[in-house]
Amino acid sequence: MAAQGGTEVKLSHTAAMILQAIHAGFVYGFSIMEMTGLPSGTVYPAMRRLERDALIRSQWEKQSIADAEQRPPRKYYKLTTAGKATLEASRRRYPLLERLVPAFTPGEEARQT
Amino acid sequence: MMGAMAAALNGVHFALLGGASVLVPRSQRREWRREWRAELWHARQMRRPGGVLCVMGEQEIAAFCLGAFQDALCLRGERTEEKAPRRNSAAQCLLRLAAITAAGVLMAELTPGVRRAANVGRYEISSDLMLIADASSGDGKEPISARRYRGWKASQQRYFETFAFYSLDREPAPSSGEPAWRLAYASENLFQVLGLPLRFAAEDGSGSAGAYAQVVLSCDAVEREFGGSAPLAGLPIRVGGQMAVFAGMLPCGAWRLPGRVDAWLLEPDEALGKAARGFLVARLSAFGKEETEGRGVQITEGDPEEPAGIFWGEPIETRARGPWDLYRFAALLALLALPAVTSVSMGDYSFSTHRPSWRRRLVRWAFLSAKIGMVLVCGYYLPLDLAYWRSAAYAYYAPQYLQLAATFLLCLMGMRWALADQKQRCPVCLSKVTNPAQVGQASRTFLAWNGTEMICLGGHTLLHVPGLPTSWFSTQRWLYLDASWEFLFSGVGEG
Repeated sequence: MAAQGGTEVKLSHTAAMILQAIHAGFVYGFSIMEMTGLPSGTVYPAMRRLERDALIRSQWEKQSIADAEQRPPRKYYKLTTAGKATLEASRRRYPLLERLVPAFTPGEEARQT
Repeated sequence: MMGAMAAALNGVHFALLGGASVLVPRSQRREWRREWRAELWHARQMRRPGGVLCVMGEQEIAAFCLGAFQDALCLRGERTEEKAPRRNSAAQCLLRLAAITAAGVLMAELTPGVRRAANVGRYEISSDLMLIADASSGDGKEPISARRYRGWKASQQRYFETFAFYSLDREPAPSSGEPAWRLAYASENLFQVLGLPLRFAAEDGSGSAGAYAQVVLSCDAVEREFGGSAPLAGLPIRVGGQMAVFAGMLPCGAWRLPGRVDAWLLEPDEALGKAARGFLVARLSAFGKEETEGRGVQITEGDPEEPAGIFWGEPIETRARGPWDLYRFAALLALLALPAVTSVSMGDYSFSTHRPSWRRRLVRWAFLSAKIGMVLVCGYYLPLDLAYWRSAAYAYYAPQYLQLAATFLLCLMGMRWALADQKQRCPVCLSKVTNPAQVGQASRTFLAWNGTEMICLGGHTLLHVPGLPTSWFSTQRWLYLDASWEFLFSGVGEG
């Protein structure tokens, strides 16, 4: 299902919602769960598939940042260029997507700082 | 108290994650565990505000941890999919078949009932032996007296050259709470005449211990009385309340004369009771063989001391019908029925004149032969295991029918599978063709072919299977791909 030049990838509603959540700034697994209301058994496997299809990519947080906040380092997810294009297509397909997952608002918890 | 409970719950969470991590492919396990532990930290922070435990919150954390199993299974599934092409390789196929075959053979060796049944029919008895019984009553199965045996043995015979005798103990009685021994009193030469080998016998043939008679035990008796470990040859043992010297063990399935016997007490002819009645085993002379030609004969004798006797001599069946005979019959039936259930053609037709090298063709035929060979071995051992795993000894009727039916079905279906599998294996690399694609339309079958196209992931061949066989395209065909296709397949199938 790799998104390659010119090919429009059709995502399920759940996958599109996760993509939208990441785009909205909910960038680690638990925050996406909190935002979308989806269970862990759905969110994490979906993220694996999105990453496998190169729609998102992951990166570990620096240990020093985590140490400063006295918590374990997080694995952050970010949309790739293909992911952004796919999200755009998904928004056309699911018009309510942006309303279901609103954009980041400062001060809200469980998001990337 | 609260701290201890929180620690216990934390332990449960880590145990759940640890259990799920076992499912994750090893190469990804460390990172997977790290991520889930970090996420668990956040889940606890959110569901235990201020470190206070509540039922709802703990339920949610537990549900969160259980989701790790789905994630782990997802990763495992992806890895399995990646490995799928390799699973279809010829080596994997042979390994799986070999594992099934080995399991069947191992079970047959480890299950006493199966092992004994497998031995039936292994021992052949010379075709010039006859069993002679009294036919005065009409059915020809009545025993004759030991006195008559001694008389025949002592006199000159035209038809027979050697005699042996055995009589069954009619009243087996248990002694001091032991199970009843089924004894037979036999002449010392019984097993020599029958030509049956004795196991654990003294190599020099010695073993006499003075006053004690020699005894040959059946394998069942050795199993029952000595736990399968036979006593030393020449050792005095108690058999049915009397002492005797152990002379050897008759292998399972070797005894096929009338009577079920645990022990044969070998005695000199003069020790055989005058009134004892039993069966006579006689070896035909050259003249006797010519005259009888393998058929049963009636023998009439006028004895001055006994009333005129009528006897019936019947050739001893040279070999018992054992599981091996049933297997051969069922396998032959399966072979004959095979063309009725599948096409025996290998589908070797090609669009071009290109053919794989003779070495590859040889390997392909060797692969098919190995598959069929292992299917046939499985067809012998697995039904045998099924029929006899709960039987203590070789039995007739139900286990035999079960073995016959199971062997037939297994051989038939197994060979059908072997042929069908072969037809879907690339003639070049023997991996299974995959990714079926529908080509053409049935409504245009007279203009172009329609059917299924499958591809070898190694990039060697395409397989075209017609959906509607026509006179010009009736069977599957291979299309060999040339080197220009190679760039398409680089990296495909690498796990």
